[in-house]
Amino acid sequence: MYEKTATELQHLFVSGQLSAVEITNYFLNRIENIDKKIGSFLQLFPERTLRKAKELDEKKKSGGKLGKLAGIPIAIKDNIHIKGERTTCASKLLANYEALFDATSTRLLEEEDAILIGKTNLDEFAMGGATEYSAFLKTHNPWNLACTPGGSSGGSAAAVAARLAPLSIGSDTGGSVRQPASYCGLVGYKPTYGRISRYGLVAFGSSLDQIGPFAYTTQDMALIAEVLGVHCPHDSNSLNHPKENIQGQLKQDLKGVRVGVPYHFLTNLSDEMKKSFDASISVLKNLGAEIIEINLKVLKYAMPTYYIIATAEASTNLARFDGIRYGNRNQYAMTLDEVYDLTREHGFGAEVKRRIILGTSVLSSGFSGSYYKKALGARGRILDAFTTSFESCDLVVMPTAPTPAFETGSIQDPVSMYLMDLYTVHANLTGLPAISVPSGFAQNGNPIGFQMIAKHRQDGFLIGCAHAFEQARPENIQIPSIAKEAV
Amino acid sequence: MNYEDWETVVGLEIHAQLNTKSKLFSSAPNSFGDEPNTNITTVCTGHPGTLPILNKEAVRKAVQWGHAIAAKIAPVSRFDRKSYFYPDSPRNFQITQFDHPIVIGGTITCLVNGKEKTLTLDHTHLEDDAGTCRHFNGFGGVDYNRAGVPLIEIVSKPCIGVTPKEITAYAKMIRAILHYIDASDCNMEEGSLRIDVNVSVRKKGETELRNKIEIKNMNSFNFIEMAIEAEVRRQINLYTKNPDKSQDELVPQSTFRWDPESKTTKLMRLKEGAEDYRYFPEPDLPSITLTQEYIDEVAKGLPELPFERNKRYMEELELTLDQSITLTQDKKLSDYFEEALKTCSNARNLCNWIIIEFQGRFKDTGMTLYESNILPENVAKLVNMIDSKKITGKIAKSVADDMVAMDGKDCEVIVDENPDYQPVRDEGLIEKLVDQVLEENPQSVEDFKNGKEKAFGFLVGQVMKISRGKASPSLVNEILKKKL
Repeated sequence: MYEKTATELQHLFVSGQLSAVEITNYFLNRIENIDKKIGSFLQLFPERTLRKAKELDEKKKSGGKLGKLAGIPIAIKDNIHIKGERTTCASKLLANYEALFDATSTRLLEEEDAILIGKTNLDEFAMGGATEYSAFLKTHNPWNLACTPGGSSGGSAAAVAARLAPLSIGSDTGGSVRQPASYCGLVGYKPTYGRISRYGLVAFGSSLDQIGPFAYTTQDMALIAEVLGVHCPHDSNSLNHPKENIQGQLKQDLKGVRVGVPYHFLTNLSDEMKKSFDASISVLKNLGAEIIEINLKVLKYAMPTYYIIATAEASTNLARFDGIRYGNRNQYAMTLDEVYDLTREHGFGAEVKRRIILGTSVLSSGFSGSYYKKALGARGRILDAFTTSFESCDLVVMPTAPTPAFETGSIQDPVSMYLMDLYTVHANLTGLPAISVPSGFAQNGNPIGFQMIAKHRQDGFLIGCAHAFEQARPENIQIPSIAKEAV
Repeated sequence: MNYEDWETVVGLEIHAQLNTKSKLFSSAPNSFGDEPNTNITTVCTGHPGTLPILNKEAVRKAVQWGHAIAAKIAPVSRFDRKSYFYPDSPRNFQITQFDHPIVIGGTITCLVNGKEKTLTLDHTHLEDDAGTCRHFNGFGGVDYNRAGVPLIEIVSKPCIGVTPKEITAYAKMIRAILHYIDASDCNMEEGSLRIDVNVSVRKKGETELRNKIEIKNMNSFNFIEMAIEAEVRRQINLYTKNPDKSQDELVPQSTFRWDPESKTTKLMRLKEGAEDYRYFPEPDLPSITLTQEYIDEVAKGLPELPFERNKRYMEELELTLDQSITLTQDKKLSDYFEEALKTCSNARNLCNWIIIEFQGRFKDTGMTLYESNILPENVAKLVNMIDSKKITGKIAKSVADDMVAMDGKDCEVIVDENPDYQPVRDEGLIEKLVDQVLEENPQSVEDFKNGKEKAFGFLVGQVMKISRGKASPSLVNEILKKKL
């Protein structure tokens, strides 16, 4: 059953070949056996999951209309609310925090009869690129347990890669869906800013955050993207854009599609990554795409711009975690100042503190002129450069990450870790939709991803193009051996 | 101390809670005085995953205010985050408008001692209110019912050479305008109107402003006037007694509160350097973009404003300045008057009966005429009965007592049911009374015959007196004239 795509599983359920309880038990059993080695899940709630599965079976029996995601187990990054379950954000501070409402995204999934199977690990408050900064556990890459699955949505990526759930959702503030997708050999999609509601997603960088799914295939991605891409009245930045039929936009070729490549931005790639990228460009050409060189030199400012804006927003978004209204208050605090100091001192991990301090500094009155305000200006310039490029092309492509998955713990210097986001942060700064698709394997066997970026609101076109790419190279979709072990 | 050499500079910062149905960024009810933490949603307590959604009613009320003070309505304004840690601040940042407020400029015009005075405003911005910290024996708690209530903060330019009386007149006019456009309840005791003043003094002729201090926590207009007076004296005394010391030593930038017990301003805290609130644009809310059509449409719906109504009362109804200001400063009283005016043509008498007679009867009850069961048409009827000489003014006062005591009973019914209130129209009886008065007051009769008009009035008064106010004054006049 684990080899089935989400689309196939839904058919098996709807046609009566598998019950929701069978599917659920099957995947819960896989998680119990395989996830010990991977560490992708922070929590399961089997009673709730099985109750929902039973309800779904009863609904089917009584002839109720079944949703687009009926019977599909979906894993949820643990910074997205499921009412009544804990949302820990992989932080000690929220270890016991119970969500008071459903995120719009989890509500939409359940409305289409998906089965929410568990909450997945992440870097604390989604700050990190290797899922090493979780306060609870490290997640390992199913392709190579010594390597990181990427981050911050590493748990959601590893769970799908190990076939512990056919679909999952994560959040992407600077690449946190696309980069782990590339490390784990999956499709990972960051929608146009505002396409998927952020209501119920614990905010990191509000102007950058987007919820994004992981899937084995672009077909499955199209399916879940259709469900999640709706206007939400609880998110003021939600796009007022009609629902889209994305499965109907999947392309078989790329005839007439002009693809822009910023070659100047790729000069530091390793030979292996460069070769892989060139091979992907050949695939596009063979599909009929026209390749154009574009100038995005302003992207050299993307990294510092991103880290200023993201940390500035984060420093205020995380100010609410003070132990006063909810969350774990430090038990030794005697005064108000101690409640603040000790709760945050002991509640947050080092990377979160680093970013809060960075964000607080760049906003302080003496510095905001030289940092925050300049970053806002640079953000505008980056968007302008993309807008100009999109006058001569329909799609921009580049690698998803500078390298394949690296060994857990091998990057200690925070700035080197930040540089792993080199190719992903601009899509968040500009709000453009972007997708990572599997594009082969490195010599050590770790997957490599290829990134496509489209114009605002062209999410359907983007996934459609990714589909053509994927169909041309079916051998890029593989299952890691750990997933094939008998359970 | 020679206060004449100095002039006062005052700036107003007024927070008014908008009386919208729900809060500024959530659907929680905007309501005062309920059990703690009952009017809250997850947005009000800053739960993770929540997002602010702007209340359009609050925007409309802010735009109405802008029109009412003839300000510029910004076609594009935006919100910013203002960071500070305090338990009553659920997100530890306030959502306010830092440098792109929704209302720019504007003026407040009012009459002080009969003279037109104008206060220039800098801007008005929207922001959300904080919760309230409560202290109990041995522990503290926070009530988030108020957290997220929409506020407008009205910020004036520094007003140079202003008197405390003028400042309170401006503040009262601001309150009146907010009432007229139904934007705020403006209840100072409940905190829905919070007035802070910035006070500094300088020697006449100086061109630079000296250091200012801020006074908070004044919950009545009297206190504002007294606080400014006390603070101005304090600063002038300091400057005069310490001519060698710098203003930073004498009047450092700081926040004071008014202490009604000692009738002095008391230092709360020094503002050491500018507090760093690390403002930046609120990423969860798009800019507020208002079309010209919307701005015009709101302007069209604007009601008559207190200053205009004041003018109309004086010019068309010929009310005195005092009468007219007493009415127009209190929108509900003024509306009551308007309602009564529909069935009464004697505006001046009607006004007196409302603002003096009836309001006076309610003075010590904690209620007001318009909150009582006495309908405006009932008061109009009473004034009409006096005008048509159906009752005398003296009887009318008793009838008014009964109207209050009998919970708004119809004055006509009161008069009909009480024989004491029927004016005596019996000509024979009145003639007897007149005869008695003429006999007892030969000197006045003599005076009248010698051309002293006043004597006639005196004689009428005497007749009314012995009739215990019940004789019909027109009949008394008529008969007395005949006899003389």
